[in-house]
Amino acid sequence: MLIINCPYCGERDQSEFSNGGQAHVARPSDPEKLNDKEWSEYVFVRSNPKGIFFERWVHSHGCRKWFNAVRNTATDEILKIYKLNEKPPSLDEFTNNLKTPSGEPELGSGNFTVKK
Amino acid sequence: MSSINNTKSFHLISSQKVSFTFDGKKITGFKGDTIASALLRNNINLVGRSFKYHRPRGIYTCGIEEPNALVQIISEHNEPNARATVKRIYEGMIVESQNRWPSLKMDIGAVNNLLSPIFSAGFYYKTFMGPKGFWKKIYEPIIRKTAGLGKPPKEFRSKSTHHHHNVDVVIVGGGISGLIAALKFIDTNYDVLIIEQDSFLGGTLNNSKKIKEINGLDTIEWIKKTEDLISKSKNIKILKDTTVSSYNYSNHLIALEDKAVGSLPPNYKPELVLHKIRTQHTILANGYIERILSFRNNDLPGVMLAGSFEKFIHRYGVVPETNPIIFTNNSSTFSLLKSLVELNCKPSAYVDNREENSIEKSTLDYLKNNNILFYTGAEVEGCDGRNIIREAFIRHKGNIIKLKTNMLCVSGGINPDVNLFTQSKGLIKWDDNLFTFKPENAFQNTIVIGSASGNFNFQKLNDEIKNKLNFLKGVNDTKIEIISNVENDYNISEIWDIKPEKESLWSKSFIDIQNDVTVKDLRQAITEGFDRIEHLKRFTTNSMGTDQGKISSINSLGIVSKILNKSVEEVGTTIYRPPFAPLSFSAIAGRNTYEFYDPKRKTPIHSWHIDNNAVFEDVGQWKRPWYFKNKKGETMHQAVQRESKQLRESAGILDGSTLGKIEVKGKDALEFMNLMYTNAFTKMKPMTSRYVLMLGEDGMIKDDGIVSKINDQHFIATTTTGGAPKVLADMEEYAQTEWPNLEVYMNSITEQFSTFNISGPKSRAIMRKVFSNIDFSNEKFPFMTFNNFKYLDTEVRIMRASFTGELGYEIYIPPKYALELWKKIFHSGKNLGLVPYGTETMHLLRAEKGYIVVGQDTDGTVTPIDLNLNWMIGKNKKDFIGKRSLSRFDTAREDRKQLVGILPLDKNKKILEGQHILEINKLPKKVETPIEYLGHVTSSYHSPNLKHFVAMALVKGGKKLMGKKVYVSDPSKSETIPVEIVNPVFLDPKNKRLLS
Amino acid sequence: MWRSPEPKKSYDVIIVGGGGHGLGTAYYLAKEHGFKNIAVIEKGWLGCGNTGRNTTIIRSNYLWDESALLYDHSLKLWENLSENLNYNVMFSQRGVLNLAHNEHDIKEIKRRMCANRLNGLDSRWIGTSEIKKLVPIMNTDNLRYPVLGASYQPRGGVARHDAVAWGFAMRSDEMGVDIIQNCEVKGIRTKNGEVDGVETSRGFIESKKIGIVASGHTSILAATAGVKLPLQSRPLQALVSEPIKPVINTVVMSNAVHAYVSQSDKGELVIGAGTDGYNSFTQRGGYDVIEETIRAIVELYPIFGKMKMLRQWGGIVDICPDASPIISKCDIKGLYFNCGWGTGGFKATPGSANVFAYTIANDNPHKINAAFSLDRFVTGRLIDEHGAAAVAH
Repeated sequence: MLIINCPYCGERDQSEFSNGGQAHVARPSDPEKLNDKEWSEYVFVRSNPKGIFFERWVHSHGCRKWFNAVRNTATDEILKIYKLNEKPPSLDEFTNNLKTPSGEPELGSGNFTVKK
Repeated sequence: MSSINNTKSFHLISSQKVSFTFDGKKITGFKGDTIASALLRNNINLVGRSFKYHRPRGIYTCGIEEPNALVQIISEHNEPNARATVKRIYEGMIVESQNRWPSLKMDIGAVNNLLSPIFSAGFYYKTFMGPKGFWKKIYEPIIRKTAGLGKPPKEFRSKSTHHHHNVDVVIVGGGISGLIAALKFIDTNYDVLIIEQDSFLGGTLNNSKKIKEINGLDTIEWIKKTEDLISKSKNIKILKDTTVSSYNYSNHLIALEDKAVGSLPPNYKPELVLHKIRTQHTILANGYIERILSFRNNDLPGVMLAGSFEKFIHRYGVVPETNPIIFTNNSSTFSLLKSLVELNCKPSAYVDNREENSIEKSTLDYLKNNNILFYTGAEVEGCDGRNIIREAFIRHKGNIIKLKTNMLCVSGGINPDVNLFTQSKGLIKWDDNLFTFKPENAFQNTIVIGSASGNFNFQKLNDEIKNKLNFLKGVNDTKIEIISNVENDYNISEIWDIKPEKESLWSKSFIDIQNDVTVKDLRQAITEGFDRIEHLKRFTTNSMGTDQGKISSINSLGIVSKILNKSVEEVGTTIYRPPFAPLSFSAIAGRNTYEFYDPKRKTPIHSWHIDNNAVFEDVGQWKRPWYFKNKKGETMHQAVQRESKQLRESAGILDGSTLGKIEVKGKDALEFMNLMYTNAFTKMKPMTSRYVLMLGEDGMIKDDGIVSKINDQHFIATTTTGGAPKVLADMEEYAQTEWPNLEVYMNSITEQFSTFNISGPKSRAIMRKVFSNIDFSNEKFPFMTFNNFKYLDTEVRIMRASFTGELGYEIYIPPKYALELWKKIFHSGKNLGLVPYGTETMHLLRAEKGYIVVGQDTDGTVTPIDLNLNWMIGKNKKDFIGKRSLSRFDTAREDRKQLVGILPLDKNKKILEGQHILEINKLPKKVETPIEYLGHVTSSYHSPNLKHFVAMALVKGGKKLMGKKVYVSDPSKSETIPVEIVNPVFLDPKNKRLLS
Repeated sequence: MWRSPEPKKSYDVIIVGGGGHGLGTAYYLAKEHGFKNIAVIEKGWLGCGNTGRNTTIIRSNYLWDESALLYDHSLKLWENLSENLNYNVMFSQRGVLNLAHNEHDIKEIKRRMCANRLNGLDSRWIGTSEIKKLVPIMNTDNLRYPVLGASYQPRGGVARHDAVAWGFAMRSDEMGVDIIQNCEVKGIRTKNGEVDGVETSRGFIESKKIGIVASGHTSILAATAGVKLPLQSRPLQALVSEPIKPVINTVVMSNAVHAYVSQSDKGELVIGAGTDGYNSFTQRGGYDVIEETIRAIVELYPIFGKMKMLRQWGGIVDICPDASPIISKCDIKGLYFNCGWGTGGFKATPGSANVFAYTIANDNPHKINAAFSLDRFVTGRLIDEHGAAAVAH
């Protein structure tokens, strides 16, 4: 279970929060102008990367505020948390200091072993 | 076998005698004994039968890693698979051996051992198939019956509890390393939690005499002094009898404390406490685990790990055997040898696999000086015996030497216990000198110290810990001087399994002792192509027993690497999955079960409902009156018919307090409401109300309710009972994330108001009696308007609205006043025929009017247009949630399922909810090919007012099928009921009653 | 068993993902559609994904006709799978119960039972006395949400998950399918709107037909070809207890109090927990999800309070907005997807593989999977299998 640093309340257990999926997907201002495919992408399709993910959380059992986070979905490490009105950080900020890969390695289901 | 009965020299047990029974036989041990130490004290070696072959099994270890000595604790609700090496005895305890019939010594299942060729690795997959039907009826039942170890538990109600901790540092393990680490935190600003698996601190210091003294003190004295210092330090807390089982992300640890050690707690106290711990830093000082060696019949009772044998001596004062053979490949066994000699027990032989030049000189000298038979560069080929070993065979320089013995102490080396470290996602690395994995890179804030880190040298301990904890500001400097009894360096020869001299059905060389996996099984599986370590594990069930292969998983990697001629790294390891030790369900559940499983939400009127024989229905967490049993013997059907009839004749009252209520305020509230709901609120007059629909972005109906407009900046919305939290959450989400430019605020006021619905032709008269100062005339108080009125020293909001299609009013009142008002209304209405009614009657009355119930007549696939609710869609609104989806190809189709009424042609026939609507009037007894249908009945009730069933259904292209004769199927019969598709409004289509 | 061949330069069909669905697809392509030159490419070892991690429940009592047809097609294949593969997949038809805990559940189940019957399925409604007979240890009335009844599908049951992958692998291998383990597909190469091959950790492999069956990783692979899939990858956890003698002989599932349990032939209780509420590829979920499940288990079966959790693990499931799978072509010619099985894909293994093989072979869906197309999200013809879950009044 993760610790999430709510920008309004501080560090809290993940069970106090709900995840809202990908961040920065604005609802189309004029949905009627979109064709069915474009609209269906807005309703159903969200990015699902393995690695850096800009996502939304809400402190449901706390201040009930929404905010954004950058998380590495390969390790569940939360790399940054920022408020909705703050500028999203650039991707370059994170790519160089990611920790160990996660998921399970190719050999065995395995504990991670360091290769010589 | 000998017991050193001078308990005083063994501080971990007392001289108090304790009796218990094992397989019906009375056994006496001392307070502090585990079942295993007490059994050994009484010369009992045979304690169980193995999983597959039912081979006799004894006590293999002295701790949590035990694969064999699993017993059933009859006196604790039949608890299965308890480790005899961990569970402490208490007076009156009843213990039984497992997996044997009729008795431990005479086990019929042992015939499996002779059938072992068909039970070889993966036997299930290749055998037990044909002829057809045999698997289901014969083979599988047999397999199921023979597997499974312990018997199921008996009647039980768990009473465990949870504790939460937020600390700076957790030290896992209170052994020498953990204690040294703890000393660094004494009287510092760090909040520290020490977690020790045993009932006492000291760990390995209690197990052997490897260390003579620390800081000039005898080791036991040092432990006492250190514990004293730690206990006095206010920032450090010690948890004993507590095992860390899971190491999750964000330094979250789960640890289980056993409160039933050596006694059963009184009934009002928890037997287990599960600790949930958050920490900044985790110091793993959880030591090492000794591993086995695979040789012929290495599973027989009498074979024991050398370190465990030593533990029995020093912890419990039990020498399991005075003249055992010691078989080792490493330095760790020297202290056992010494302990035995010092107790005047001479080992029959010391068999060291290392060549003489790798063995410590002190060991060789000691062996020689004490005249002990020893072999170097040798191995134990195997042993023989039945319920205990009788003889061992030593291979030395090509010769086989047969020696008589009752016990064989084995050490295949020691492994840092990396289980928790890998759970934390740390990286481990193979060490070519120690022949084991060592922690390498931490993923979290994890520090591994002592033998857990692969440092087996006591002299280096203090420096190691100092260096690793240095980065923490303000930790104490500690001076630790250790004087050892044995040499400090550790070395080991690489040996995993020993080639057997002879093969027979009886002779087996095990790699997983609990799951009866042999070295031969591994070889065979590899030959068959299962050369991936995970495939091997799954194919052979290696290391999948209750011990999770703690003493042998590294060995299997060693063996496989040799067979495949690859390095262990190339072979890879299977993952160490949580928990470290089996974790009690009762502890996981804690108190969040039974009466605390989920809160019961009750309305302020609940007590009245109970007094008036309400039968309740669970709606989400709410308890809602379902119907009221008027008198004894009244069935639900009778009650609902009575309530429904009486309401339409006079009046009824419903406790609607559970309905969600949301207050929406702000400069832009109007625009916000226009976006959230399908309806248009712009032209709506202040102090009026409206039936509303909320859609998802997919265009499907998610919720309904009534919105009351106080003014353009202030609305109150009601929601369904179950939908309330979601509607509020959705509103907040859109307000914050999509339209932050709108100035709008919302809050749940569900609990702030109790709500009653009074409806029926007499409702106006009743309202007049209760609120004599209010004008309820149609002119002054028209349908779908509301107002606030003074009532006692508070305010009530009264709205003219209806759930039932009758003239009706809805009253909102602060909960404090609710019960009193309810009683008053009831009192005032009694002579006018006011009836209390529940949700079932409400549904019935709604169905008569063709009013939908969200979640019953909708299922997340229904649009407003499907329900003929086009009038609720604000035509001139540019946008609202879900609007765009309504024009997609498949949501705009005219042959979608649409809401219709269903009328039985024979008015006496029943229509049931869920029944499907067919165009054919007969169903085959057995359906071979799918039968097409038009839709299904969503709501159906017997109307006492119309004297027949009224039903609603979702029917393909239903709007165009009005008047069509179709059939409703009864799933249990092949017959169908002819019905007519009609308009779903069965009663008062002109709304005369509603507007009266 | 199966060979470990070096990948060839080119194949007629490449299946990405060596789980049950992928291996089964290769098996049916070779057996029923005469393909000779097929490769299955697996990043790890066969069955290392959700095939080897699930709770092995098999049933077909789904609400919508499209689903019922697909899952029952699979169930029928299960019934003869051991025989057809000459490998015992230990399919044990011990029956599956889905419990009802409130009025809403009852209505939902009864509706489903009617639909099931019209679709020729064997599921039926049973009351608490019959439930008690099937599962005597169940606490039906003395709990927060009492058990009010259940749907019962006697043909449902469990199977040995690994054996399914191994059985398909062996027989495919015999028919010449190249099973390539420890080879990671890094991307899909396309040319003029057609697939060209896959980039792998062992080089480029050419093929004009590529089937992606990579569960949690499918959307990542799709993205390399520019295809957007409505999938989110979530952790799903499961656990087993220590083994005991047989005590529960039916598979019991409860949605309302999240508790799924069956007992394996080895004697372990196999328990399915829920998904975590966030995307993750760590194969590790939150402990709170385990707790949620166990407290429901203890509530329903008080004696299990004395049981112990032996092992706990997680998988990555790819969840579709309508809780139904996608078995479909896409805008790129020769590229096929079999994904979105979410939490319930194991039961569909042979059926999914069978219709996917048909789809790939004919470049057109089988009538059973036609409805499970990608464009249902555009037109709005969803197969919403969780819609009926909302509790409302």
